[in-house]
Amino acid sequence: MKKVIAVFLVLLIITSIVFAKGAAETTARPEVVKLQVWYALSGTSGESFKSKAEAFDIARPDIELELTYSGKYADTATKVSAALLSGDAPDVAVMAAGQLYTGGRGDFSMEEFAKDPEFNISDVYPGMLEYGKFDGRLAAVPFGISTQVLYYNKTICNAAGIDLEKNPPKTWEELLTLAKIAVEKGNINKSSDFYGFDTSDGVWLIKSMFSQNGNPVVKKAGDTVVPVFNEASGVEVATFWKKMIDSGIMPAGQHNNAEKKFLAGNLAIIAASSNRISRWQGNTSFELGAIPMPKFSQNALALGGNVMVILSEDQFKKEAGWELVKHMLKEENQTDFALSTGYLPIRKSSQQNPKVQELFISNPLYKIAFEQLDYTWAYLHFSEMGTMDAMFWYALDEIEKAVLSPKAALDKAAASLIKEME
Amino acid sequence: MKKKLHKVNKPVLLVLLLGSLLMIFPFVWVVLSSFKTVADVYAYPPKWLPSSWKFSNYATVFEMIPFARYYVNSIYTSVMQTALQLGISVTAAYALVVLDFPGKKILFSVVRSTMFVPTIVILIPMYLMVSKVHLIDTYAGIILPQIFTAFTIFLLVSFFRSIPHDLYDSAKLDGCGYYRILSHVVIPNASSAISTAMLFSFLGHWKSYTWPLIVTNKQQYRTLPIGMKYLVQESSSEYQVMMAASVMAILPVLIVFMIFEKQLVKSITLTGLKA
Repeated sequence: MKKVIAVFLVLLIITSIVFAKGAAETTARPEVVKLQVWYALSGTSGESFKSKAEAFDIARPDIELELTYSGKYADTATKVSAALLSGDAPDVAVMAAGQLYTGGRGDFSMEEFAKDPEFNISDVYPGMLEYGKFDGRLAAVPFGISTQVLYYNKTICNAAGIDLEKNPPKTWEELLTLAKIAVEKGNINKSSDFYGFDTSDGVWLIKSMFSQNGNPVVKKAGDTVVPVFNEASGVEVATFWKKMIDSGIMPAGQHNNAEKKFLAGNLAIIAASSNRISRWQGNTSFELGAIPMPKFSQNALALGGNVMVILSEDQFKKEAGWELVKHMLKEENQTDFALSTGYLPIRKSSQQNPKVQELFISNPLYKIAFEQLDYTWAYLHFSEMGTMDAMFWYALDEIEKAVLSPKAALDKAAASLIKEME
Repeated sequence: MKKKLHKVNKPVLLVLLLGSLLMIFPFVWVVLSSFKTVADVYAYPPKWLPSSWKFSNYATVFEMIPFARYYVNSIYTSVMQTALQLGISVTAAYALVVLDFPGKKILFSVVRSTMFVPTIVILIPMYLMVSKVHLIDTYAGIILPQIFTAFTIFLLVSFFRSIPHDLYDSAKLDGCGYYRILSHVVIPNASSAISTAMLFSFLGHWKSYTWPLIVTNKQQYRTLPIGMKYLVQESSSEYQVMMAASVMAILPVLIVFMIFEKQLVKSITLTGLKA
């Protein structure tokens, strides 16, 4: 009897497979594949994305797009999370950390799509491709990318007798020395709240600094991700951070006000997103300058921004979604998007685009941002990386306000992260 | 007598004038900024008046978002939510004050405790429920989940309790049923509190952003706060355009406030007398 049941079950399984295969083969692609596309881009970025997507919609009668603005990055994450649970998720999304959704469920179909010769993957900056990876595998593609750039107030620097254009600091120690001079001699507003250096995003900057000092922030050990930012190379960076506070060039716990201070002429140098070039150039009451980011032992710049991700699990929608991704990442579209928004293009060939060449002449600050693209870097992406950023904020606050020593603060952040991952 | 009154009130008037100027300052700033250029917005020291009056900021709002559609949607959803919310809140508060039923105290405690649950916690479960009943991308999906608020019930319960119980008893003796007591005794006596609740409710719904964003994808159902957010970039903002949109968005709130101003002041006065 048992044998009969076993044979019956085997037959049942084989029949199911045959029928299932047959069904898959016979399902035809709909004449028009409809794609729900959500994008976390607003203002001029949103308009630029929308116009390019609409051009694709017109050019491809076999694909119909329904474009939806999904709010800011955090709103989009909430919206996508809720929609995935209820089965109403979009087919394609432009969002921050989108690879956590596909990579998290083991969907790495982007790896296969990216082999498409028309995509020309070798033209994409390697560091930017890393930005779309989850657990070391490609799960999304970079779209609106930015890096941090060092901006400076030329009026302050001239008053302090510093020429950053001719002698930019190559290391962080050199920057510290120059910022001290700016504090001593460059306070032209006679402000009691004047500083030499600050950043609007401490976590973004310190991740770059970790990498510059040879620390990968986290590393893979078997199947798990292990924090390494609290190792000696990381503690060195955190100790230098504290030195910037102690020497009086950077205020403690005031990063939220850094940009306002800079624009008010009360800060000599600031590390801020590359997309500030288009925003600030010509709109400041002082002459604006920019220099490449200094380093510790090597050049490295952590990336920020958003990715394009194909969330649909339907094969036809995935293929149509890839066609859209390919269109949006064409060199001319990427260059145009970058020039109109201040984001940086993901393709190396954009640098040869005549529009970009013209821009380098008319606005040399862009050249600084573009040249830094050669050493962009993204750390290993994993599910709890948002939590890790929050831990870094706490750690920086504790270091800056001398609540904990740099080592103790990083150890605490690492322990909290491990606990969260468990 | 009149002269004496003015003499006594002068310092008070001065303080009130200063307070009013402080209150009106952001509004004036918004209006002036809506006519500025980008350079004027970011100028330091700040410029009071635009160097050149840029009326096109208002046109840009209509070019970037379907402002009129969002406007109509906001008015429709806010009015509907306010009406339904008041209907539920008034009857719920009335039941909690006037009726005697088992578990009344526990029920009121449960209602009150929902005031302490952050919206973000219930966002995803609420979305799943709305999705299950196929209300995503509908006006009902925006309106229905937001019509029950513990705060309004709590506010009205506090007010209904202040109505002398003798009034209820007299109405009962005169042969009034529960609905008649509600419509002829409670509502007329609590009109100022209901107006306050209405104003709070309308303002809350008018600026509601996260829920309408989560529950809608199609532009035809989207509301003003989502459109306003679209004018703000992730990294920086077209402040002058945003200010132009803000000026236009403020208008209905001002109208609602002007209509209910008297009742609102009366409610505050009554609350003050109570205290």
